[in-house]
Amino acid sequence: MSSAISSSTFATEGVRRTVLDNGLVVLTKEMRSSPIVTTMVWYRVGSRNEEAGQTGKSHFLEHMLFKGTERFKKGQIDLLTLKNGGGNNAFTSHDFTAYYFSFASDRWQVALDIEADRMVNCVFDPLEFEAEKKVVIEELKTGLDNPWGILMQELDAAAYKLHPYRNPVVGWLADVESATTGEQQAYYRKYYQPNNAVLALAGDFDSDEAVAAAARRFSRIPAGPEPVSKILQEPPQRGERRLAVRWRSKVPRIAIAYHAPAIADSDSYALQVLAVILSEGKASRLYQRMVERERSVTFVNADYGESKDSTLFHIRAEARGAHTREEVETAIFDELERIAAGEVTLREVDRAKRQIEAHYILSRERTLDQAMLLGQMETLGGLDYIETYLDRIGSLTVEDVARVCGAYLQEDNRTVAYLVPDGAAGDDENNEAGPFEEDEE
Amino acid sequence: MSVSGVRLGRAPAVHERVLDNGLKVLLVENRTIPSVSIHASVFAGSRHERKEKAGLAIMASRLLDEGTTRRTSLEIAEAIESVGGAIDTDGSYERTMLSSSVLTKDVGLAIDLAADILINPQFPEDAIAKEQERTIAEIASAMDRPQVVAGWAFNKLIYGRHPLGRPTHGYRETVAAITRDDLVEFHDRHFAPNNALLSIVGDVTIDEIWPDIQRHFSSWKPKTIPTARHARPVRQKDKREKRIVMPAEQVNIYLGHLGIERGNPDYYALQTLDTILGSGAGFTARIPQRLRDEMGLAYTTFAGITMTAGLEPGKFIAFIGTSPENTALAIEGLLGEVRRIVKEPVTADELKDAQDYLTGSFVFAFESSSQIARFLTHAEVYGLGFDFIEKYPEYINKVTIDDVARVARKYLDYENYSLVVVGPDVASVVS
Repeated sequence: MSSAISSSTFATEGVRRTVLDNGLVVLTKEMRSSPIVTTMVWYRVGSRNEEAGQTGKSHFLEHMLFKGTERFKKGQIDLLTLKNGGGNNAFTSHDFTAYYFSFASDRWQVALDIEADRMVNCVFDPLEFEAEKKVVIEELKTGLDNPWGILMQELDAAAYKLHPYRNPVVGWLADVESATTGEQQAYYRKYYQPNNAVLALAGDFDSDEAVAAAARRFSRIPAGPEPVSKILQEPPQRGERRLAVRWRSKVPRIAIAYHAPAIADSDSYALQVLAVILSEGKASRLYQRMVERERSVTFVNADYGESKDSTLFHIRAEARGAHTREEVETAIFDELERIAAGEVTLREVDRAKRQIEAHYILSRERTLDQAMLLGQMETLGGLDYIETYLDRIGSLTVEDVARVCGAYLQEDNRTVAYLVPDGAAGDDENNEAGPFEEDEE
Repeated sequence: MSVSGVRLGRAPAVHERVLDNGLKVLLVENRTIPSVSIHASVFAGSRHERKEKAGLAIMASRLLDEGTTRRTSLEIAEAIESVGGAIDTDGSYERTMLSSSVLTKDVGLAIDLAADILINPQFPEDAIAKEQERTIAEIASAMDRPQVVAGWAFNKLIYGRHPLGRPTHGYRETVAAITRDDLVEFHDRHFAPNNALLSIVGDVTIDEIWPDIQRHFSSWKPKTIPTARHARPVRQKDKREKRIVMPAEQVNIYLGHLGIERGNPDYYALQTLDTILGSGAGFTARIPQRLRDEMGLAYTTFAGITMTAGLEPGKFIAFIGTSPENTALAIEGLLGEVRRIVKEPVTADELKDAQDYLTGSFVFAFESSSQIARFLTHAEVYGLGFDFIEKYPEYINKVTIDDVARVARKYLDYENYSLVVVGPDVASVVS
């Protein structure tokens, strides 16, 4: 395959990686075209680090980091963002917790002040903690009102018996309800250390000055003991698992999970290509068969992401009309068997490679996109991964794709979850939002 | 690689050309990455459809790439996807949009496909049947989500029989009633070069792509375009309530009334008000600060009147999703903040902070080629001017405390409003 760009290093071109004495990794990428700087801090802690009965802690902590320090009192972080005309947010996943600010490049360093301070000085006021607990519980409930939120939560909990990827990032309700400030603070002390963090900066700055500015704020924070988490190992799956999930909807929704390797595993690249072949775009396999020819689903989606530990390859679909979940399953399994048997063309593989390559370029325009990519990859596996990524994708063969499909997307390795109506009654058919009413005044 | 073209905070250099058939083309060079973003708009949307055929415009937009006189649906998909590009079509209340992102080397292909899709769609019968089934299934799927159900009911309370009162994708009955003749007629009436706009941003010059545009778009015939005919919606002078019982973890509450048009001269004063009341950075605005941060009632709560402003009046929306037992408290909380901003002037600090935020952060909306292409379309549709990026800070900084007080009194109403509550049976807790 010929490459549209000169090398695979587009994303890391000009990136400087500096490690401060306290272990903080600082990544800088100059992007001079917009007078904006995005500052991101990534902590190598997420729901994978949480023990049973303590789920949701990483995410709750993310909320508490906006609740203030001695220097930046409650509300000040958002207020400074407002006054400086910036944006901020944060998110938590299985593998990491990340915070970001975007500011105009003449004032971006206020983000460094805030991040350096809240890395160690977060205040855990018990009243604030209890108030925020209510907010987190509302967030959790919002997720439960989404059919895919509930189905994926139950699917993952069944696909893993032990590994903490089985737990929702937001946590289980009972764990969140029983969270205490003391435990939360101890968790913070353990994981929020410069040697467990990555600072990713992208935008309109001079790298020398940016690194110096970061060093001025962060160098005075001492390194802490390397945080050690006891992460339970997942035993091999010995046969298909199935579960019905009762929920209020009559719409048949199905989700399938296959155990699949972690980031940078030699098979992970072919699995990414496979996911694109299956469902990316209207020419994709499952779209053509299920949406176009059989008309059995409103959508079908295959997803396989980069993950620190062995992860799941997900396929989801929503049946339509009179089509059943069984038909949907059959079509998906049949298509996977065909691919595993070698019924996949060079054209499909080349198309998927080009889609991945173009996506790599088309989705890295903004400073936030760049900081996101660099921070996430450094946190998960190191920048080497992106340096070689497109070459690894480019060198894959049709046989590679067929082989990984057979090896991973097979019956004994899968968990199948589907929604079944629970019979709960709402206004449903009679609610006025739905039907067209000819004579309504 | 030289960096040229876009510098945020400064107006982009817009190259404007018009084909003989009236198609206007706007182009901004952006050399930062080797790609091009194309946004084509046709000024036909659900505001142009009859209520018996609600959903027609969206369905037409989704069928544009399902086969043309030159290519089958699969040929279109394979052509664009095999170069790693994408073409998406979508409809809205005001417009039909086609957007495409491709690597620079493939811009000719993207223009060819865009022209074919906009000018020559065939609306094949089997594709129509497929799309109808799918849309009807999607409506059923969307009805599982309390926030969506609440949003539809809210529109209906505010707009009544005005087309903005209908969901843009229509209803089961009206979607099922759409025929090929309807789609062909909709396309014939509205799709014309003199009723369309092409915005292109990326790693190309106007001279480089002009031959492609001429080759593929020149055959498009101009025509007389019918205008949308319906009465202007009127703001309610009464209180309207709708409760929908739905088993759920949370109740979703919408409170508000008719809003403003994008062209309203008070838009900027109201955007400042929005920032103070319900849409600032993080949880700085009064509603999230009070209802989320202090009272812990919600994860999501916000308010604003400018975010839905368009060619026709949008809505003033105050939203909260909360546990059922908090329903009365949440409604009172939203109303209390609306009442307060109408009755009491905002502080000088609040005004200054909101202005600093808006004038500082609006540049984030112009970072990528796709965002700039969307801006060009908005600038054209709403008459903002391409120097909007430079003018915007002036518009915002001119706003005074008295302006905010005046627009609050004029455009917000805490007595005559629409209220929608969707969730578990809460009749007993709503006063």
